[in-house]
Amino acid sequence: MHNGILYLAGQSLKELMLPIIGSELIVNLIMTLICIGILFMLVAVSALVFTLGERKVCAWIQVRIGPNRVGPWGLLQSTADMLKLLTKEDIIPHGVDRWMWVLSPILIFIPAAMVYALYPFDDGVIFADVNIGLFLLIAISSQSVLPFLMGGYASNSKYAMLGGMRTVAQMLSYEVPMVIALMGIVMITGSLKMSAIVEAQSNIWFIFLQPIAFLIFMVTCLVESNRPPFNMVEGESEIIAGPFTEYTGMRWALFFLAEFANLLSIGILTATLFLGGWQGPDFLPGQLWFWIKAFLMVLIYQWIGWTFPRTRMDTILSFGWKVLLPLALVNLLLTGFGIYIFKWLL
Amino acid sequence: MWGKGLVTGLKVTWGHFFGKKETVYYPEEKLPMTERFRGGHLMLDVEKCIGCKVCAMNCPNAALKLTVEMDENKKRHMTSYVHDIGRCMYCDLCIEACNFKALKWDQNYESATYFKEDLIYDAVEEAKNRRDGNE
Amino acid sequence: MATTEKFVLNMGPQHPSTHGVLQVQVELDGENIVGAKPVMGYLHRGIEKLMESRTYQQCVPFTDRLDYVSSMNNNLGFCMAVEKLAGIEVPERAQYIRTICCELNRIASHHVFIGSLTNDLGSATGMIYAFRDREKILDLFNIICGARMTCHYIRIGGVIADAQDEFLQKTEEFINYVPEMLDEYDRLFTGNEIFQKRMQGTSIISKEDALRFGMSGPNIRASGWDYDIRKIDKYGIYGKLDFDIPVGKTGDNWDRYIIRLQEIVESAKIIRQCLDNMPEGPFMAKVPKMLKPPKGDAYHRVENTRGELGFYIVSDGTNKPYRVHIRRPSFINLQALDHMCKGMVLADAVTAFATIDPLMGEVDC
Repeated sequence: MHNGILYLAGQSLKELMLPIIGSELIVNLIMTLICIGILFMLVAVSALVFTLGERKVCAWIQVRIGPNRVGPWGLLQSTADMLKLLTKEDIIPHGVDRWMWVLSPILIFIPAAMVYALYPFDDGVIFADVNIGLFLLIAISSQSVLPFLMGGYASNSKYAMLGGMRTVAQMLSYEVPMVIALMGIVMITGSLKMSAIVEAQSNIWFIFLQPIAFLIFMVTCLVESNRPPFNMVEGESEIIAGPFTEYTGMRWALFFLAEFANLLSIGILTATLFLGGWQGPDFLPGQLWFWIKAFLMVLIYQWIGWTFPRTRMDTILSFGWKVLLPLALVNLLLTGFGIYIFKWLL
Repeated sequence: MWGKGLVTGLKVTWGHFFGKKETVYYPEEKLPMTERFRGGHLMLDVEKCIGCKVCAMNCPNAALKLTVEMDENKKRHMTSYVHDIGRCMYCDLCIEACNFKALKWDQNYESATYFKEDLIYDAVEEAKNRRDGNE
Repeated sequence: MATTEKFVLNMGPQHPSTHGVLQVQVELDGENIVGAKPVMGYLHRGIEKLMESRTYQQCVPFTDRLDYVSSMNNNLGFCMAVEKLAGIEVPERAQYIRTICCELNRIASHHVFIGSLTNDLGSATGMIYAFRDREKILDLFNIICGARMTCHYIRIGGVIADAQDEFLQKTEEFINYVPEMLDEYDRLFTGNEIFQKRMQGTSIISKEDALRFGMSGPNIRASGWDYDIRKIDKYGIYGKLDFDIPVGKTGDNWDRYIIRLQEIVESAKIIRQCLDNMPEGPFMAKVPKMLKPPKGDAYHRVENTRGELGFYIVSDGTNKPYRVHIRRPSFINLQALDHMCKGMVLADAVTAFATIDPLMGEVDC
């Protein structure tokens, strides 16, 4: 039925194990564990790659060269950074709400990694192809608001508090236009299932059917993942580092791990929902198409981030509610009419 | 308006993304210093110096400490010429004050040190080392 | 019913966007600013007092450290004040070289303004581009005087060394590059909607308020006053040169930014005229090594990049000044911060601070 490379590899591995172990239940369990391991590794490796990638892209845009000392072409730079952060002293400042403060960087990583279970990487390669996939995805990713607020509140610092409050305001208000923009896709597909959404784009990508939704989705993605120009949460020139101000060493690194996981996440999401996911001309395997599209989108997000100045808190809130939300509703309406006309023509 | 400015901005950065980079690979490649460059250690020409201490008098921050000894023939000998880079602001006044052109900068800008004490050096000794090295 | 409270946020002296070591105590109501109180003195080195124990020539390098991104203008202010006190005539060629250097330094200083402003607005890319172009001017200074920032090039009686042909030629090259450079800034930030949205209509200083605060330089011109010492006093050779004073209308952050861009164009125009009419001749007047100005006092003001920079020198007839007082434009401009921040949000405090463009070396002196 499916013919993705990864799917076939998984199937053959399963067939290999079945005669040795015997019980299909245990084989399925082992396969599940392997998948979880691969997903976690993907998240961790993406953080390592994107730390370097981000610095290189930013440097090239800024007529610099970027890291080039550790390893060939600076390839080991992020490893060196990670080692440095791991060996740093673990400082817990006085007056923090200890439990919440310690939990926050761990909790922020969970939704960031969990959404990877819902991405169709290849034909048939999806960890949990639930029939409410898109809904679950948005539900999980909106959980990342809470750890930010926890970190901000527990730090006992005014900068962190301001950052935490900003997170709640911007993330909650941009979820609304995002969901409504995605509704257009769901209406065309007729399903919330992620694999079905990709299948529906076999003839035409949704970027052509839903250009308004695509633009809205790009903006909301940047806001949701705190990328510049909407990185009000960090806002380094005003509130230093927002909720991360008081964190050091590995705890701080966890926040950044989550941030880079989110960066890859929005790249994959945009590629999946609007650029046809793993689908593409036959001369390249679907897996490759998927990564090309995802990385292209990541590059575009980085390019946008390193070009524009940061917006202001009140401006983006009013932009979200007064511009993006009506636009998303109009898009919804247009999609509805479009589908009606399409059906009437048939 | 309407996002036109945003797109032109993106074009600018896209051009630089592939364009020529301005960075100089520092330790491998070094920029040449200009002829008038002020910085580094003071190069004292012991032959020309008569030990008049005008340079030390002209220093605004008292960064120069000179000891001059008279020998039996009433001839003055420079025994030490201590320059404290920590106090120096590279204003060039000492060099301009010298009537015999016995001082100049060594054009070396890599004068950072790990310890504060290393910032203090004796120009007479350095001149001696330089002479020994040349021979 | 829920009650809310105001709280005080200490921005600085260690903060990414306080341009050095300024502390601003911002009183906040949520994100809205109720008041902003600048606290200064973290960089006080007592330069006025230090000058009392130095000879006049030795004082000049200390003026570099006042406003360290436009040191040439500081040198000029002090040297002209001493020249006024001692009655020294400066040769024509020296005047031209001085003007070229000061205007180059004005451009370099505005580069720092653009760079730090864009950085404070969250675009690190803008900062790198501005500093890349500033580097070209610093290299020019390196050619002419051997130092990049603390130049100590303009001396009492003229300049310390003649301008080489290499310098003049490279200056011309830079002047030819200015339109291209400004075009890039225009495309990258001036036309950017986010940039405009954040700058236009924020932190307005009205025409009357600007006068009441005693502001000077581009800040008062942005509020609509045609006030430039170069035009009013016509010191040096500025009387012979043809240039305009850009004047703003509303006095918001946007005007203060645009004024600076236009000033770069005007400075380039001045340098072009100086290069074309450069006379031959000596570059230094005959100044005794032990300069002892007659008893008395003198005040001289120049248009620094940040405003009206004045040096008041009292001489008691010895080779050291009896008292020096410096009218620092940044210090006086900074007091408008509270007025500018009131009613704005926290992000605007940073923008307002960047557009006043104070330099802590000058504020604390």
